[in-house]
Amino acid sequence: MANSSPLKMSRALQRRENIAGYLFMLPSLIFFIGFVVIPMVICIGYGFTDANMNSKTAATTFVGLRNFIDLWQDTTFLLALKNTFLIVVVSVPTVCLFSLWVGSAIYHLKGPVLSAFRCIFYLPVVTGSVAVTVVWKWMYDNYTGILNYVLKGAGLIEENINFLGDERFALWCIILILFTTSVGQPIVLYVSALGNVDTTLIEAAQVDGANDIQVFWKVKWPQMMPTTLYILVITTINSFQCFALIQLLTQGGSGTNTVMYYIYYTAFKLTEQRGHFGYANAMGVVLAIFIGILSAIQFKLAKEK
Amino acid sequence: MKVKKLLAGALAVAMSLSLAACGGGGDAASSKPAASTPAASQPAASTPAAPADDVADAITVWVYPVGGWGDEAKVKPLIDKFTADTGIKVSMEWLAYADGDDKVNSALTGNNAPDVIMEGPERLVANWGVNGHMVDLADMIDATDRQEILPAALAAGTSTDGKVYLYPMFNVAHCMAVNYTAVKEAGAEANINLDTRTWTVEQFDATVKALHDKFGGTVAAVFCGGQGGDQGTRELIRNRYGTKLTNAEHTAYTWNTPEVINALTDLKNMPGIQFDASLQGGDEIAKFYQGVLKMAFCWNAAQQLDPNSAGTGEGKTLTGDEIVYMCFPTQEGKNPEEGSGVWGLGAFDTGDAARIAAAKQFIKYMCDSENCSQAGDISNFFSCRSMAEGVEIKSSNPLLVEYYGKMMPYMGEYYQITNGWAGARTEWWNMLQRVGAGDDIAATVAKYEANANAAAAG
Repeated sequence: MANSSPLKMSRALQRRENIAGYLFMLPSLIFFIGFVVIPMVICIGYGFTDANMNSKTAATTFVGLRNFIDLWQDTTFLLALKNTFLIVVVSVPTVCLFSLWVGSAIYHLKGPVLSAFRCIFYLPVVTGSVAVTVVWKWMYDNYTGILNYVLKGAGLIEENINFLGDERFALWCIILILFTTSVGQPIVLYVSALGNVDTTLIEAAQVDGANDIQVFWKVKWPQMMPTTLYILVITTINSFQCFALIQLLTQGGSGTNTVMYYIYYTAFKLTEQRGHFGYANAMGVVLAIFIGILSAIQFKLAKEK
Repeated sequence: MKVKKLLAGALAVAMSLSLAACGGGGDAASSKPAASTPAASQPAASTPAAPADDVADAITVWVYPVGGWGDEAKVKPLIDKFTADTGIKVSMEWLAYADGDDKVNSALTGNNAPDVIMEGPERLVANWGVNGHMVDLADMIDATDRQEILPAALAAGTSTDGKVYLYPMFNVAHCMAVNYTAVKEAGAEANINLDTRTWTVEQFDATVKALHDKFGGTVAAVFCGGQGGDQGTRELIRNRYGTKLTNAEHTAYTWNTPEVINALTDLKNMPGIQFDASLQGGDEIAKFYQGVLKMAFCWNAAQQLDPNSAGTGEGKTLTGDEIVYMCFPTQEGKNPEEGSGVWGLGAFDTGDAARIAAAKQFIKYMCDSENCSQAGDISNFFSCRSMAEGVEIKSSNPLLVEYYGKMMPYMGEYYQITNGWAGARTEWWNMLQRVGAGDDIAATVAKYEANANAAAAG
């Protein structure tokens, strides 16, 4: 009896703390369920229907896997998928490597110099994507853009390059903008991660005769793995979901269509096409599956490391 | 612990309330869609009349930037007058062509459509109308109206089953423009007939050549960065050898013709003409206004009055060069078919009789009353009717009067109500991009016409 009372007390305390914890989680949980889980379930459900905006004249019916089968016959979707993968394959490693390089170069700097670098690299992240895109659009302009002006002035080109109107350049131009807007956060994270590396381990390695490269890869890099994993997953998801740049610069033309843009286009532009909502939702499901698979692979590899 | 609980509880309640505030729903006049620009909703200073019992006292009107109707300052006095006369408050929202369709489609999906919308038949009739979202306005058009309204405009606002989804308000013939100062500098002014504003393909080609020889670079762009202003490229291409892009019934696309293929081939091979996938109509106008391009294919009366909406004077570029509007060139230099632009008002079927009644009252006020003239003047286009309620409607602006005399007789049929128009427009500019990229023209035209017809078939 004497022992059970404190146990009871402790359970009651535990329960109270649990309840308090859940209550603190509740606001985000409401948002998460309301704006993520439920729409996700609806999206999956609609993917199996021919849902469309004009339900007054065209009732929604269950079509099974038809949308998912049609996707693989749709050349526009396949091209968009190819472009999306190209963006992911190019931008994820370059963003990670560049961020790691810049982070390594500036993390040991002190005070205002470090802050200045952080600001410079973080500026494109906090600047509105529309503003950034408009500035890049001016720079890429076929007639009066500064890039053409500089390249021509330097004698590198004779005729202006139509950066956004020529399919040889357009997607790469978009990847470049995506790169500049994506590196800010990883750099700040890497600077922070490098600053938190246990210096005693570094000193011990150096005493044991490790050179700078060995210290980096054997001591610092393993301690930065959680940060790297986070950066990889976030950059992959952002690259898969590249939409605003396409919408604002090319509207999917000049060989720049991506799955995200094609989803938007099918859902909100092709409203006369029967089953456009269902088809767009099916694309969304496929995209989510790809993102999920790639993220799982990244988690798995990082865990093995 | 108590503090923790209280805090958690308060947070949960706050979040729940914020969620509830975010939620839409509700019905009738109390649940009007939010207007982002409510400035025009203020009633006039005088005591407003009261609406009838079965008429809602507030409506929401969404307006695409059609000519001068895109300028809030110009529209506001007329809206205030309507409120003062009828007692119906109006929440105006100005849409952009870039994302206006998305907003309307989202509103329709969420059962939150506005009461009235201003745009053209390709949206009001061929899309939202035939898909059951609009109110049939046929009961608003009596025998007198049918005599007074331009038959072509009324036909454009009417679906194939006879329902009127768009009450015609104003119209214009879309044309092209040249930098006349540059043309004179290039010594090619003999190709420009200022009396008729018509010209032959030969004269057009010679003018492009002269401008290219004089200034180099791109004289004019077959813009294909999107659907914006695509009527310009359509009319340029179809007039060159004289053909139609759809069948007479507006059920199928017929642009896979030797005329279109030959026109595209000519333009593709013409020095000075660039198929530019980085420009849309608005961008082209801006480049023309800046003097970078010497011709514009996306032009009309409103642009001539206020080029690039820059407020720098009628018919002048940024640098003061003279702009001359021209018909699209044809082989004979006669009987061109300019792009047909018709706009009007439609009422969304909100399911609320009082709101629909108020919407109809608004439409009647703007399209069939003594205010019709003012509504037309705001647009910088031409009223679709000659008389309204005994009042003759006539523009007093000399430039518009001249434009009306020279261009409106050439206005072509309104074919933008062909089935699957939204999809077909995309196929058109994608086709131009492929032609510009150097793909085989005949095969490209055939492929994209087939895609457009697939869209038409639903």
